[in-house]
Amino acid sequence: MRKLVSLVEKEVKDLLRDPRIYIGLVVPVILMPLLGFLMSTSMSSSIEAGAKGVKIAVLDYDKTVLSNTFLNLSMSLGADIRKVDATDLETAVDEARNLGSNALIVIGKGFENDLVNFRRASVEVYIVMETMSLGSIGAYSAVEGVLSVSSKIFSNMLISKLNPNISPDAVRDPFNISTRSILKDKIIEAPPQVLFNQLLMGYSIMIPLLLLMLSITVVQFAATATAVENEEKTLETLLTFPVTRYDILLAKLLGSSILAVIGSILFTGGFILYFNNMLAMSGFNFPAGDFSQLLPSPPPESFILLAASLILAILFVTSLGVAIGALSSDVRMANSLLGVVIVPIMIPSFLMMYGDLGTLPLALQLLVYALPTSYPIMMAKDMMMTPIPFEAILGIPYSAALTVLVLYATSMLLAPEKLLTVQYGLRLRGTRRQRVRELENQTTVG
Amino acid sequence: MTGARSIVVVRNLVKRFGDLTAVDNVSLKIEEGEVFGLIGPNGAGKTTILRIMATLLLPTSGYVNILGYDAVKEAGKIRPFISYLAEDAGTYRNLSGREYLLIVARIYFDSNTEASRAVEEAIRISGLGERVDDKMKTYSKGMKRRIQVARALMTRPRLAILDEPTAGLDVFHAKHIREVVSRHVKEGGTVVLSSHNMLEVEYLCTRVAFVHRGHVLFEGAPRAIKNELGVSNLEEAFIKVTSR
Repeated sequence: MRKLVSLVEKEVKDLLRDPRIYIGLVVPVILMPLLGFLMSTSMSSSIEAGAKGVKIAVLDYDKTVLSNTFLNLSMSLGADIRKVDATDLETAVDEARNLGSNALIVIGKGFENDLVNFRRASVEVYIVMETMSLGSIGAYSAVEGVLSVSSKIFSNMLISKLNPNISPDAVRDPFNISTRSILKDKIIEAPPQVLFNQLLMGYSIMIPLLLLMLSITVVQFAATATAVENEEKTLETLLTFPVTRYDILLAKLLGSSILAVIGSILFTGGFILYFNNMLAMSGFNFPAGDFSQLLPSPPPESFILLAASLILAILFVTSLGVAIGALSSDVRMANSLLGVVIVPIMIPSFLMMYGDLGTLPLALQLLVYALPTSYPIMMAKDMMMTPIPFEAILGIPYSAALTVLVLYATSMLLAPEKLLTVQYGLRLRGTRRQRVRELENQTTVG
Repeated sequence: MTGARSIVVVRNLVKRFGDLTAVDNVSLKIEEGEVFGLIGPNGAGKTTILRIMATLLLPTSGYVNILGYDAVKEAGKIRPFISYLAEDAGTYRNLSGREYLLIVARIYFDSNTEASRAVEEAIRISGLGERVDDKMKTYSKGMKRRIQVARALMTRPRLAILDEPTAGLDVFHAKHIREVVSRHVKEGGTVVLSSHNMLEVEYLCTRVAFVHRGHVLFEGAPRAIKNELGVSNLEEAFIKVTSR
């Protein structure tokens, strides 16, 4: 145990102080909230600038008492109304531009007549898009808000005129709809789209994304830690110490996993801050309230299964990382080889994040089921909505068997004889290729 | 078990890497308290012989016994009693010299007191002084070599296997390391080393073996070799033997 602790200490200290590693750990914590803040600030300021003191040019073809009432009402709602006097739309648009208006409203002839006869009156809105920015959307929202409130006041007036004893809301919107969702056996006091937003963000996107990040981070750490040993020629010395190759492997797995967990916590923190900054932005209307309290809790055994599948997935990718690092003469070679491993890990994760596993072509389904990294994502997605699928439970012994196999193969690779012979072979192959290329060049030049 | 004073027994050792025969039918014995030197040009097979003794490589054929244990079947029993210094041994860039030494000492010793004593001994051997607390990435090549030599000898191994121990060191530090090696042997250790520096070998080694193209061509005490071949130094002796 003492030997293992010493080896783990070496791994953690050496990795944690490596700029190549700690930059990767720290950058998300600083960059993501900063990114969220900058994005939300620029978006908010654009929207606020658009919405504040919205200037509306109005071409009133009707020129009646009611059209004038509509304009006064709009002004009382905060809009800066400027009347334009034009005979056609083109001239009115030019005038609106000259006035610096954000929008042009055209009140059609017969506006009052239509209203008093209980017909829908025509109002055309033209938004001036000076730039392709959120400011234009803010102006549009402000104009739409003014029109919507005015329309409601006019509607109240007309309904009251017809029958002062009835509620205008009951006529305008006769159904009082309250939508609830049924999850498993529980009725939730929230519409499905609200739950979907939370479930989608939490279980279908956030957790798989974090698992994906964890897998990529851990495989990188393990490969780098081992490749550095080759690059700095320290592995050879390490293999002569009175420790077993399993101690060395375990120390690398633990060291990389500890750092990957730290990295994931920092990444999660950065990600949450990014979202908080984005959600804090005005103009975004997310459904209020935290409905997670209302959601049925996943059964406790599903957390145990999730933890088991997660540990196995991490062990699996870490072992792959150590194997890649052991086969690489330096960090650069390890990084090149990592792509071969990371891409197949990423593809199933994205397939499951944005799609339904059952609807995928058979080949892709097999790819997903073949990888131990898929099972925690499968669990996380399904633990809330449905009973955990049988194949996800079967995935645990399968992942365990595959992980043991990879661990064994990696430990065999860490036998000095094999390691030195394989590396010697790879170096020899590289030298031969280089020699062939040199000969080819010489022949071409000659 | 082999004879009481034989620390290393190598019989008919062959090591092949594919088509390349790195070591070809080598036999030698190293007695307790000896400093045994392997002399030869690059690619002669010295490092391969040392790596097999250090339990890093397996022989293709032949027999190697270290401290009474079979180097193939009982490698795990040998490792606590040996230490190996590779020719191009590197360091952990982000650890300080002291941290590295302490981690290695904890692997070799069960008690913290023994481990601390070994570290202090290593700091003395390395001669790094206060620089031992700096990260090893700031060390010069010579400093890295000194910390590795110190690491190899601080555990008081019964057999120290040193591949070019003074490579990259200036004359002062090379002399210091030679003195450390001599002291280690006086205190009961045994050393097998390889070197290009014939003067060093002549000064340090009780016996040497000339290695050329995977074969041991000549073996004996430096003085005896010079007398037998009628030459004034080992360099001349080596050239005479290899040109036969």
